Amino acid sequence: MSITRRTALAVAAAAAIVAGSASAQAQTTLKIFTGGQQRPDVMRQILDVYMQRNPGIRAEVEVGGATSEQQQQYLNTVLASRDSALDIILIDVIRPAQWAAAQWAEPLDPYLGAEKDAMMARYLPAYREANVVGGRVIALPYFADSQFLYYRKDLLQKYGFQPPRTWDELITQAQRIKQGEGNANLQGFSTAGAPIEGTVCTYLVPVWGSGGNLTNAQGRLALDGAAAKRPFELFARMKDTGVLPNNIAEIVTDRIRLDFQAGNVIFAQQWGYAWNRFQADADSQVKDKVGVVPLPSFADGQPSTCIGGWQLAVSAFSRNKQAAVNLVRFLSSPEVSKMQAILASHLPVFPDVYTDADVLKANPWFAEAQPVVRAARTRPVSPRYTEVSDIIRSNMNAFLAGTRNADQALADMTTRLTPIFR
Amino acid sequence: MSSDTLTRKDVPTAPRVRGDISERTLALLLLAPAILLLLLVVVYPVVQLLISSVHFIHLAQPWMGTPFVGLDNYVRAFEDPRFWNATTNTLMYIVVTVPGALVVGMGLALLANQPFRVKWPTRLGLLLPWALPLVFAGLIFRWFFDSRQGVVNDVIRRLGFEAPQWLSSPDLAFVAICIAIVWKTSSFMALVLLAGMQTIPRSLYEAAEVDGATTWQQFWRITVPMLRPAIVVALIFRTITAIQTFDIPYAMTGGGPGDATETLAMYIHKTTLDFLDFGYGSALAAIMFLISMAVTAVYLRHTRRESES
Repeated sequence: MSITRRTALAVAAAAAIVAGSASAQAQTTLKIFTGGQQRPDVMRQILDVYMQRNPGIRAEVEVGGATSEQQQQYLNTVLASRDSALDIILIDVIRPAQWAAAQWAEPLDPYLGAEKDAMMARYLPAYREANVVGGRVIALPYFADSQFLYYRKDLLQKYGFQPPRTWDELITQAQRIKQGEGNANLQGFSTAGAPIEGTVCTYLVPVWGSGGNLTNAQGRLALDGAAAKRPFELFARMKDTGVLPNNIAEIVTDRIRLDFQAGNVIFAQQWGYAWNRFQADADSQVKDKVGVVPLPSFADGQPSTCIGGWQLAVSAFSRNKQAAVNLVRFLSSPEVSKMQAILASHLPVFPDVYTDADVLKANPWFAEAQPVVRAARTRPVSPRYTEVSDIIRSNMNAFLAGTRNADQALADMTTRLTPIFR
Repeated sequence: MSSDTLTRKDVPTAPRVRGDISERTLALLLLAPAILLLLLVVVYPVVQLLISSVHFIHLAQPWMGTPFVGLDNYVRAFEDPRFWNATTNTLMYIVVTVPGALVVGMGLALLANQPFRVKWPTRLGLLLPWALPLVFAGLIFRWFFDSRQGVVNDVIRRLGFEAPQWLSSPDLAFVAICIAIVWKTSSFMALVLLAGMQTIPRSLYEAAEVDGATTWQQFWRITVPMLRPAIVVALIFRTITAIQTFDIPYAMTGGGPGDATETLAMYIHKTTLDFLDFGYGSALAAIMFLISMAVTAVYLRHTRRESES
């Protein structure tokens, strides 16, 4: 009697647990973290589609800081304390190495299983490489990005210029247009100059363009010779000729977009997201007056640009890893890549999506964007990337502000970067 | 009994109850929650911080483990030019903004202490900067000093001068940040000083007036000496918060140009939360803690000597 009663109780308890977990599964809530600049509004639209197809899943978006480093500061706190509040996190292309080292991202290999190789092969090579660290898939790409030269089509036409192919041409054209327009607010060339992540690209693009790199094939610091000095020479010339805005040391990424959107910039080194804002924002003064081409190169160099883009990582501390992986696979699909391209001018991570007719209708310049993204360079890969970035951007910022000359800035970079790349 | 004629010294201290265990136990019981809370949120983190500071803890390099490194982190700080730069900057902020806030705060307190019929405008003016979160103040002032859209440069341009690049020049950025800090913190000074002023008996001023003292003499001979304890308290609080200066320069310049306006607190934040170097960051924090303690000790010794004399 007592045995049967105990058994009955146990069965009832087990049933309750099973029922409880089943109902929990029926309403799994996933929290996705994204930055304010990565168009959370568009992500919400995409998630609505997913939730409609998967009634058991509720996906919520948490919006973080506007810049990559503000987001990472917040995430450092959350993840260092092993908080399970976030399931999926959108991370900058520069982060997977650090995330793998800190063991914050759940490696996706076991979830992808036999499909792994076939699945990874579909992405653009740069993103396949960026998301695999030490042979393990750390994240899946959400959208691609790289820096382009945005220019004012109307102004270049007015003065009879073709989009510049070299930095020299850009400087000459900017000077002529500024002179002709006589508008004191008109900036010749704008790029990130504040001590933020984008300023690392401001420095590295001309280094790469002169055949140099920050590190050599062995991963040691290789910042020497003419290439390391080239960015300083270039921006000093732009400063002297009045092509750079005089507040260049205050300029952050989205400020370039705002200034350009207000009609105050002729040329800008900017990421892909800006196109959609120029074309679609109600307050845009430059709708249909914008052209996008690859960044210029030196007369004796090669064209180069910085790779960007955002990746979807599953938190190692998530309590719903399988559900999170499923959603990540959806968000990293050609279907979503196409939606993003149309809704937000986010560059696709799949080669085929670039040539999709609907995508090209929304973004005619995507036709020429794919080779640029394919050729875009990766910022140095290091688990200590935040330190590397801080050293480069603060020196570049000090140089642009005029508080450090090229030799001082380069010497400081070398002293502080050497131990990191030892 | 007219208690308002008695000063604090005249009030007899309560007789000590000897051997009354139940009362003592009760006292302990009543204190226990507070002590427990203090242990949990003050003592434990401080001890943890000191332990971290003698270990190598770098979250971006977990394969290195967390070995004990003795005083290596402290030695590294003393050899780190960026630490010295940040410390010097912090001291500069203290030297400029503490007296600055005292002078402006005194002015505000005197204004608020005037017998205006309508008191709320001055009181509101006093409370508003104090109630505003620091980082908001920083963001507001960043826009004020923005070289293109900022109101400061707009005024300068309208007056026919050339507008400077406030936040791109180390010196001007320092000035701009100091202005923001003084604006933000002088209201706290003013509140403390105002409270002190209202305890000064009016009769002193009336007597001085009868004796023909000018307002200036009244201020220096009555207000300032009577306010001395309030001034010291305000200075201690202000100096300690000045040692921890973070939000306003963080929001206004992010430490730039280069690291020209970076404070010690910003460097600690960057080392721990950006670079994930918790060991070194803890050592820097411990050093900052020591500086705070030293400054407080100097003030306290000064006040004790004063109250003894």
